[in-house]
Amino acid sequence: MSRHSKNAKAFLKDAKYSEWHDATFWAVREKRDNMAHGLPEWEQLRQKASQIKLHTLSHLDEYLEQFSAAAEKNGAIVHWAADAAQFNEIVFGILSEHGVKMIVKSKSMLTEECGMNPYLEGKGIEVVETDLGERIIQLLGQAPSHIVMPAVHLTPDQVGELFEREGISSEIGNHDPTYLTYRARLSLRNEFLTADAGMTGANFGIAATGDIVVCTNEGNADMSTSCPRLHIAALGLEKVIPDYDCLAVFQRLLCRSATGQPTTTYTSHFRKARPGAAPMHIILVDNGRSEWLGNPEHWQTLKCIRCGSCMNTCPVYRRSGGYSYSYFIPGPVGVNLGMLRDPRAHSGNVSACTLCLSCQSVCPVKVNLGEQIYKWRQMLPVWNAEPAGKKILCKGMSMVYNHPLLYKAATGVVKKPFHSLKTDSDE
Amino acid sequence: MSSKQDILGRIRAGIRERYEMPSLADLQATVFPDPLEAFITASLAAGSKVVEISPSSDINATVRELFPDAKVIASNLPEINIATINPDTVGSAQELNGTDVGIIRGSFGVAENGCFWIPQAMKEKAVCFISENLVILLPKTEIVNNMHEAYRRVNLGDYGYGTFISGPSKTADIAQTLVMGAQAARSVTVLLV
Ligand code: SF4
Repeated sequence: MSRHSKNAKAFLKDAKYSEWHDATFWAVREKRDNMAHGLPEWEQLRQKASQIKLHTLSHLDEYLEQFSAAAEKNGAIVHWAADAAQFNEIVFGILSEHGVKMIVKSKSMLTEECGMNPYLEGKGIEVVETDLGERIIQLLGQAPSHIVMPAVHLTPDQVGELFEREGISSEIGNHDPTYLTYRARLSLRNEFLTADAGMTGANFGIAATGDIVVCTNEGNADMSTSCPRLHIAALGLEKVIPDYDCLAVFQRLLCRSATGQPTTTYTSHFRKARPGAAPMHIILVDNGRSEWLGNPEHWQTLKCIRCGSCMNTCPVYRRSGGYSYSYFIPGPVGVNLGMLRDPRAHSGNVSACTLCLSCQSVCPVKVNLGEQIYKWRQMLPVWNAEPAGKKILCKGMSMVYNHPLLYKAATGVVKKPFHSLKTDSDE
Repeated sequence: MSSKQDILGRIRAGIRERYEMPSLADLQATVFPDPLEAFITASLAAGSKVVEISPSSDINATVRELFPDAKVIASNLPEINIATINPDTVGSAQELNGTDVGIIRGSFGVAENGCFWIPQAMKEKAVCFISENLVILLPKTEIVNNMHEAYRRVNLGDYGYGTFISGPSKTADIAQTLVMGAQAARSVTVLLV
């Protein structure tokens, strides 16, 4: 039994909770549907978004150079991090240079991926998450259970008791979400005013202008960068898109897909540091992405704009929760990203799929998630083989990967039966 | 620097086929018979208050009426004479904390989602977020249909920062319950002039 199956079994023991979990995410899926059905051009937008991504990813070298040149022209300092370790070192280097003791940061799955918070904390730097959900799980010492709604697995009582323990709320037993949100606001306000640096992720980097674009509902990315004297922005290579015309397409899709709102409350463009502040630092992070781009069967996973809607719709995610998966990003896209990261460590996740393909019918950029999971499954004998055989098979596979014709021959057998499942991918 | 070259080299080695950029010219984006009306509907849905005022009326009196208890009012707009603090001249952004009402200008609104474009036009952009209540002066003639039209008009200005805002700061991070007033402004009032 895979780790996911065991965890899912445990998750389902609490029938009331698992029903609530299922219904909660299905409600988000329904909100997304209302938005999609409200825009007659929805399918056209998805088609364009998918094509823009295919174009951008297959010209990523050019767009990255254009982006970094534009950002440097704006006065930003651009860093290139090959992997997580280098990323963490770069961040620490910048913070040390500015004598930073405490940073406020907005939500970023990239810093999670790189293990930045524990690394910085080990170096004596205090990191304060400012997205409410992220702050809650940070105080609990947990990881996010969803990429957009990281603390959604918790009940108001759990959050209320946490805030009482932490001295954030004063009315013991008042676990009303409005009250708890207000208390968190008061506590975080102090952090915003006293932090030495603000860190943001990025939803998009704009090659034509060098803008970093961050979408939030709470305004915490803007609060994080309005008072501190230093702003560091971190983005994965695949976040760069050509220009504002393309951004309009993604902006319209992202929030409608993610939470079922027509837009996030804030769509903020950072081009220059604020007056009197230190230059803005932008860190472009590879950490596997450039290699994944060379994977003929799975490079399209890089189209993902991290909206989370494939999780919300997934019947397995809804009934097993974010913590059942072995990779830190759960759901259909997490299954695929985990396999790209380390197939031997995360092959158990590929069974967490019914092949219903609901994920790829909602994905705003048409990542062919279910088809890719199916393809990964065909490789299971490779990743699950006994140690001796495994080594040979792995070697064989890397040779096959690097030779597209061989690859086609090797997977040709499995392609046919799957064909009937094909929906609307672009290839 | 070597990381940059290594990364770009790996990308070039991995790309097998270069895909064309699709034309966006044939995109049939939603337009509205009455963009202003659509903007107001979407603004209300996003949690904004909308007040239409005539060009001859006194904006200062309107703000006073809306926020009779406000003590600290922040603005650098020339037509505002009730401001007690100016985001251009404060010694630090932190001094804007405690602002009851911040008054700023929007360039244009977007009908499809009720957001408006705020290019940074003050030294400390903190005023846009740190104020408990935010008041936006927005010309009612400047409403575009959708984000495609909006992005053709976006201009960040000299400060190199700008943001689309729709309604107050909000969160649903605790049990999916929508709460207005997360980390930034707790109310947003659009004054359509
Ligand atoms: S794969 Fe698609 S649906 Fe899933 S998070 Fe990414 S963009 Fe959203």
